Order: sequence, then C-alpha cells, then structure tokens
Amino acid sequence: MSKDRYSRQSFLGANSEELISRCTVGVPGLGGGGSHIVQQLAHIGFQRYVLYDYDVVEESNLNRLVGANLTDALAETPKLHLAKKMIYGLQPKASILGIPFKWQDKPEPLRECQIVLGCVDSYKTREELEIICRRYLMHYIDIGMDVHGKDKPVIGGQIIQSSPGGPCMRCMGFLTDEKLAAEAALYGNAGHRPQVIWPNGVLASTAVGLAVDLVTNWTGRSRTHAYLAYDGNEGTVRESLTLRNLAIKECPHFPLHEVGDPVLVEL
Amino acid sequence: MKAHIKMTGELHAAMLKDLTRRHPFARERVGFVFGRLCSLSDGGRLVLLTRYHSIPDDQYVKDHTVGARIGSTAMTWAMQAVYHGRLAREGIFHIHLHGHRGETGMSATDGREIPRLIPGFQSVGRDAGHGIIILSLDHGCGWVWVPESTEPAHVDCISVIGSPIGVFERRRTE
Repeated sequence: MSKDRYSRQSFLGANSEELISRCTVGVPGLGGGGSHIVQQLAHIGFQRYVLYDYDVVEESNLNRLVGANLTDALAETPKLHLAKKMIYGLQPKASILGIPFKWQDKPEPLRECQIVLGCVDSYKTREELEIICRRYLMHYIDIGMDVHGKDKPVIGGQIIQSSPGGPCMRCMGFLTDEKLAAEAALYGNAGHRPQVIWPNGVLASTAVGLAVDLVTNWTGRSRTHAYLAYDGNEGTVRESLTLRNLAIKECPHFPLHEVGDPVLVEL
Repeated sequence: MKAHIKMTGELHAAMLKDLTRRHPFARERVGFVFGRLCSLSDGGRLVLLTRYHSIPDDQYVKDHTVGARIGSTAMTWAMQAVYHGRLAREGIFHIHLHGHRGETGMSATDGREIPRLIPGFQSVGRDAGHGIIILSLDHGCGWVWVPESTEPAHVDCISVIGSPIGVFERRRTE
C-alpha cells in the first residue's frame, strides 16, 4: 500500500495510523447509524472490529442503509455481511468478529473493545450498553435520532460520549427513569421510529470524530465526556444545554471500583 | 490463553506519577494494583484494574543487589488486602516501572525475585487472578496467574481507557 493512502489525515499525528490500527471498536447494530459508522471507521484505518447484527436487509431499509441495494433486499442479505464487505473492501487485513446475535446474547467479545459505538433504538438498550461499557472499561459513544410532530416535523438527535470515570448518560440528563418508564409502557406497541439517511450521517460522522479524537487526541482536548445535540431542522450540532449547566464532577452511578462481573459481598 | 488488562487513564496516570517519584534510598519504586478477573471469548481472560496502593517509603528495606526491596510490613498488608478482597475475587498485581520508552520486559532480577510472591497471594486469594505488571513510560507488559495455575500467562494487551487511549501490545516473544 502506498504511503499516500493516509497523507490527507496526517494532521491526526505522526503515529496516528498505528494508534488507529491497534484500537478495537465495537458496533452493536449495523442499521442506519451503524452502517455509516463502519464505513467511516474503515476509511480512516481502523482494523479491529467486533460487530453485532442479527437482521437482514429489507426494502424498508433502503432509504438509509449505507452499502445496501435492491438485490440485497431481494436476497435478504445479512446486515453483518454488508458491513464486512464494506470493511474488507477498504481494509483487507482487518480482523472482524461478526456476531449474528443481539449483543446481550453474547457479550464477552465486546469486552475486548476500547470503544463501543452504539447505534440502537431504545433507551433501555442504551442503558444496558452503557452499563457493560462501564463495567468492562470501554468508552461508549451513543448516537440516536428521532422525529417529533406530524404537521411540522422536528428532527432531533444526540451524540454522547460516556467514558469510565466521567459523567454518564444519567449525569448528563439524557437517560431518566421517566424516559425508561414511558418506553417500557409502550412495550410491543412502539412501532417503527422514523429514520432518514442524512441525520444518521451527521450523527455517525460526529461520533466517528469523537472516536478518532479519543484514539489520537489530535485536538488536544482530552475529552472525558460529550453531549452534542443535533437540530435537524436548523442543521446544527451544538453542545447540549444540559451539559453546559452540569455541575457534577464525579459520576455517582458508576463508581470506578464497580467493574467486572457482579459479585456478592458480605455486609 | 489470551490475556488482556484494562485500566482507566486516571489510574494509569496515578501509578506513573507515584512510581516515578524518587525514593530516599531505593533505586526504584514498586506498588500494588488490584484487579478483577473475568472471561473473554474463546477462553481468554480479562483483568480490570481497580485501585492502586503506593508503598510508604519506610516499608522498603535496603538491598543494593536489587532496584527496590519491600519489607514484611508491605507484604503483610498485601496479603491481608487479598484476603479481604477474596469475596469480590479481587487479585493483586506487583507493579513497577522501567524508566524508558517503548516495550519492556522482565529483567533477570525481576524474573528471579517477583514471581516468588505469587504463591503467597494465591494461598489467601485462591479464586482471584494475581500477577506482575511492568510499565515503561509509554508502554507496559504483564503476567497473570489465573486461579489454580502454577505458570503465568503472558498478557497480550494492556489497554488504558483514557483520553487518549493507550493500547500496549506484546510483540516480544520471550
């Protein structure tokens, strides 16, 4: 491979290519968000992946699933296959552990990651992903979008970095008992959330930017956390107002000694 | 067996800061760091480091044949800590620093002296993983004795989950 391949991203640091290639990233969910994310990670040079998706391509995915075409919908190609094809096309030596299950059914491989990029639909799954990331020491970067209102639809979304030792999604005001309870009350009746390709692209790109900064620290910011709010009608990504007003210094929800498999202790 | 150690950036920085301090007479410092063992896929093991214990200056003993030697008070403290952490299956790792950059490994003295501590730790914390970690200024290596083993497994990777992330991979084959 020519040395020119990464010449346009040399500002990331002299050894950035090596740092990026050594990092293991987990992507549970290879739909509208995850397909963008793996594509970008592969372009940048990530070599090690733990991917989860048990679903196949359907016609209703074609409005947003990067890499999928009509043939994939007809053939019901697994989304995992599409992601692998995308990565191997750019990084033939990549190490990809593709798991055709829900990540909750086989969580051990995820524990090896340094970064997990979550592209999941529900608050409950986000909470579960954050818990595993805290317990097994991984940075968690969450993306999500939603559309509110029918007459005048409003597109909103978020990109959150939750890192061990830093504020969690509860500290940052994103996850609340009320949201989880409201979601639980809709169990089985939530329907499909609206999804379109361009907000997913913005959210995924911003998440990949956070991941690259975590690996290379090219901005010099050494972020401990992030909560960026996307306004799809205005086309802006800004630091969340909640985060700006956050006074918390230490996360009370995930003490640093609470890691690994849960154990029973004597009281 | 694949073995992986993870720690936060905060813990790594605290250990480096402590281990680079000058000691009144020892040529280097040592410490203890606690870790919990859990499983990875394909029989691999993951050790999650939780907290560091800095050994007080007066618990070192003078011995010019080694870089640092700790006395019975420090060892008793370590054994007690393992005993008290047995329900949480928290093991203990002897840690010290080689003050250079790049990958490091055990010196002849390290290989002769430090592994002798492990059976004692295993005797009071038999369900935990114990071991040795040697840091350099920007890398690190380790050995872990899983429960009931007499031989250590080389640690293939040490991850520092901070900002930036550190991934210290084992390349040496000795």
